[in-house]
Amino acid sequence: MRTSRLVFALSAACLIAAAPAAAQEGHPVKGSWLGTWGPSPDHLNDVIVILDWDGENITGVINPGIDNVEIRNATLDPDGWIVRFEAEMVNAAGATLDYVVEGTIGNLAFHDRTITGTWSHQNGSGPFEIQRQ
Amino acid sequence: MSYGVHGVSVLLLAGLLVAAAPGEAHHSILGKFDDTQPTTLEGVVTLVDWRSPHVHIFMNVRNGPRFDNWAVEIESPDMLRKSGWARDSVRPGDAIVVEGIAARNGSRQVWGDSIVMSATGRAVLGVDESAPPAPLASRPTPRWPDGQPRLGPLPGGVDGYWAYPTAVALVEDGVDVAMNAGGLLDDIDDAARVAPLQPWALALYRARQSRHLRDDPTYLNCKPTSGPRQFHQPQGVQLIEDRVRERVFVLVGSGNRNFHIFFLDGREPVGQVGGDDDNPLYYGRSVGQWEDDTLVVETTSFNEDFWFTNGGLPHTDRLRLTQRFSRPDFDTLRYEVTVDDPGAYTRPWTSSWTLRWVAGEELPKHFCQENRP
Repeated sequence: MRTSRLVFALSAACLIAAAPAAAQEGHPVKGSWLGTWGPSPDHLNDVIVILDWDGENITGVINPGIDNVEIRNATLDPDGWIVRFEAEMVNAAGATLDYVVEGTIGNLAFHDRTITGTWSHQNGSGPFEIQRQ
Repeated sequence: MSYGVHGVSVLLLAGLLVAAAPGEAHHSILGKFDDTQPTTLEGVVTLVDWRSPHVHIFMNVRNGPRFDNWAVEIESPDMLRKSGWARDSVRPGDAIVVEGIAARNGSRQVWGDSIVMSATGRAVLGVDESAPPAPLASRPTPRWPDGQPRLGPLPGGVDGYWAYPTAVALVEDGVDVAMNAGGLLDDIDDAARVAPLQPWALALYRARQSRHLRDDPTYLNCKPTSGPRQFHQPQGVQLIEDRVRERVFVLVGSGNRNFHIFFLDGREPVGQVGGDDDNPLYYGRSVGQWEDDTLVVETTSFNEDFWFTNGGLPHTDRLRLTQRFSRPDFDTLRYEVTVDDPGAYTRPWTSSWTLRWVAGEELPKHFCQENRP
């Protein structure tokens, strides 16, 4: 557990340190995003999302590292700048949960824009907010 | 020089206006000022701040029993000089009438469209942006001894550069849309006609346009005017041919006087291993060759941190440009660019325009100074 926290912290530090060179003005979702999600506003966990655009599809991973999770079926609806993606994760009990994340891009004009919305799976939902680094 | 208490307060106001402007730095004019809010000011000049990128005139305007100090923003020193004006064309103490448009944020700032001396009615500090008259007769294309057209100044110290582009922003050839000198569309519903944009890119282009281009990184952060945008700048562009080293230097007459290199020595468009080989660049990597009388330049490896045209058309790091330069006569540079960016557009597309030769002059000194309006 301590090791995974260290890996997470180092990953986050590397991402933050590399952020100025990674700032992008191209596709609005492309980039490294750092933020929080959790079961409630009082119980939030850090999350890193890396998103990319290949000209046809949005791809990416959640929490890059040894336990990273690939996102699936990612879309951007420019009418309202709605971002939606799915991910399959295994919880502590070994059960597979199908996450759906949906949010709205804020501060579209700026490189440090945000995506704010909700996540949900079979057993719950909560707030989700990430900011482009 | 002594400014006195009043002079100091004016300088402080000027300083505050400049320092408080990270979001209002060198800017798209309509991003900061509202052309639906015409304003007339009559008063006395207190300070002329003659600096790039925009000159500011501060003036006291009577407001009932007191005077308010207003900032009048006008064109750049180099454009004013080209129109025959100097830093002392208007001086502190002069009574002037300013016609302009008001700042969108309600502050005491206007963009000055005209300035007239109250006493004489003489117009001052206006900018004439029109191209000089065309030569009466077409002059032949200057050529090197081997017959290849010259794109830059002639040998012997006679300077010159290319300016007065016939287009102000990228628009696909064959499409006719109205826009201002900064690429702001007269009718935003023309956005979809400008280029074959993917849906997200069209939405982003419309969003940038609807904010009057105020988010342009060139104006906000002095980011380079790269790609085709180099050839849209009112301050012009100079091409210096180094035949010994087989390269063409592109000197940009705006921003921070950056330059770019077209390599004609047959190299691959890659960076230096261990250096910038995996680093996308503002100007990309350009290699070219002559095809008859046309210089054809391919450029890739762009980053996404800038706008590659006035007006805010988006691009991605998949952007590949094919630029063609030809000089059909002494005074005309024909520029054609094919934009191939499968990340932002549905197909490759082409835009072209011409520039005029400005003989006997060095490239204007126009600087973008960070956080200065």
